[in-house]
Amino acid sequence: MRHALVFLIVLAVLLPFFWMAYAAFLPPEIVYSGDVLSGFGFTLENLKKLAPEGFWPRLWFSLLVSGSVALLQVGTALLAAYALWNGVPLWGVFLFTLAIPVELLLVPLFGVLHQMHLLDTPWALVLPFAASPFTVLLVYQAMRALPYSLVEAARLDGAGEGGILFRVVAPLVFPNLVAAGVLAFAAHWNLVLYPRVTVGERYWTLQVWIADLARRYPADWGLLSAAALLSTLPLLLLYLLFERRIVETFEGSVKG
Amino acid sequence: MVRALKHSRWRHGLFALPALSFLAVFFFYPFLEVLRFSTWRWSGLKPPEPVGLKNYAELFSDPLFWQSVKATFLFAAWVLPSFLVLSILIAFLIEGQGYERVVKGALFLPGLVTVGAASTAWYTLLAPEYGALAAFLPIPAWDQEPFWAMAMVVAFTLWRYLGYGVLVVSAHLKSIPAELVEAARVDGASPLEVTRYVVLPLLRPAVLFLLVVGSVLALQSYVAVFLLTRGGPYGATRVLGYFVYELGFENFRLGYAAAVTVVLLGLTLLVALAQGKLLEER
Repeated sequence: MRHALVFLIVLAVLLPFFWMAYAAFLPPEIVYSGDVLSGFGFTLENLKKLAPEGFWPRLWFSLLVSGSVALLQVGTALLAAYALWNGVPLWGVFLFTLAIPVELLLVPLFGVLHQMHLLDTPWALVLPFAASPFTVLLVYQAMRALPYSLVEAARLDGAGEGGILFRVVAPLVFPNLVAAGVLAFAAHWNLVLYPRVTVGERYWTLQVWIADLARRYPADWGLLSAAALLSTLPLLLLYLLFERRIVETFEGSVKG
Repeated sequence: MVRALKHSRWRHGLFALPALSFLAVFFFYPFLEVLRFSTWRWSGLKPPEPVGLKNYAELFSDPLFWQSVKATFLFAAWVLPSFLVLSILIAFLIEGQGYERVVKGALFLPGLVTVGAASTAWYTLLAPEYGALAAFLPIPAWDQEPFWAMAMVVAFTLWRYLGYGVLVVSAHLKSIPAELVEAARVDGASPLEVTRYVVLPLLRPAVLFLLVVGSVLALQSYVAVFLLTRGGPYGATRVLGYFVYELGFENFRLGYAAAVTVVLLGLTLLVALAQGKLLEER
């Protein structure tokens, strides 16, 4: 009974993923027949149709942008977390920013980027996300789990602060840095409205592009599913690779 | 010694500088600027003209604004209780089972996966009449009926964040000392009674935490609205966050949208303050 319930819940949660993977390879005749269960079929046609729509350059661009954001965020967070760990009283500042998501600041950010002449440049997609209080929180929690005597010992040995951070502390929290990086990557990869309003079509990320594709071809499920599947793959791979670390890092931040 | 300490404070402060400067420019500055923007009539295309507090005056007599406030609270009233109950229920169901970790991993997945792609999958699965599921399940017309449109947006939001809720409850469940539960069992309490009188009260911090996270989430989650219903039908799912987007970037009334943003920020800060109060209690 209990197992059946859990099984049902997991099935319901994963159903959209299974469907996405299935529909991506469904021949158009079956989709357009109006009854997708009328027959089975396997085709790579949907994937091939993505190229002329401009899928691949978008994918590389999105990977580049979200990847840079993830690296920047982990970098700034590693430094800031070290400051916090050494007692710099900035915790309140980060907590305050944590309460307000960037997506709420859509209008003022648009105005500020406008003032800085950054609208419609790739910088608009990167710079506002270079520091994230959430990433700082994750890295800080990981550092707090280490004994501070490590730092003191290294100091007695005459190591500089930068050396301590990069040679002693960073390697120890490396798994958490990876997890925080994956989460930062996912959060940025998933932005839809922000890129839509701050940059023109030329710099749209994959997500915006897919939302637009769905508007242009609302009935071509095969094509849409293929785009959805391929855009999910990078995150899916990252998640499967680091699943344990991500869930544990998250749990660590929750226990606080 | 004191001087050396002070000196090191400063030096450590330098490490926070990159993060702080980015936050100053792209968080605190816009955060203050929005107050100024909210006194403008501004289309984003032509230079703005100052209109004082006119936007706010208009706001409070705008039926669309009040409808949006109503939709936001309705959304929260749907999401919060179901989010809490489902998170606790699932955490209980999987606690200590062999598949606990796998289930948690699976439930966490939707939160990470691309919203655009996820909403595409949802749409093609659940579209009324044409959707893949419509063939053998009665799918309500959520594109026409306000009630079902809201249900759809709520379900999508729950789907995305449930894994997180389960993680939080489960982490707290694990921190409950086993002796407490055993002692209650020895005293003759049934498993249901143990749950009701021992475990649930001890989960209070987790519930409070989720309540706060959930309400901030309810105030800001409008991407689902954009992707699934575009605020419709008849504005039934036009939550405040989406209202801002629509005003600013579809109707090109950025000054007015800034005024709504200020209200929304005020609400969010109130919730965050309540958060501080509630979390202190634990």
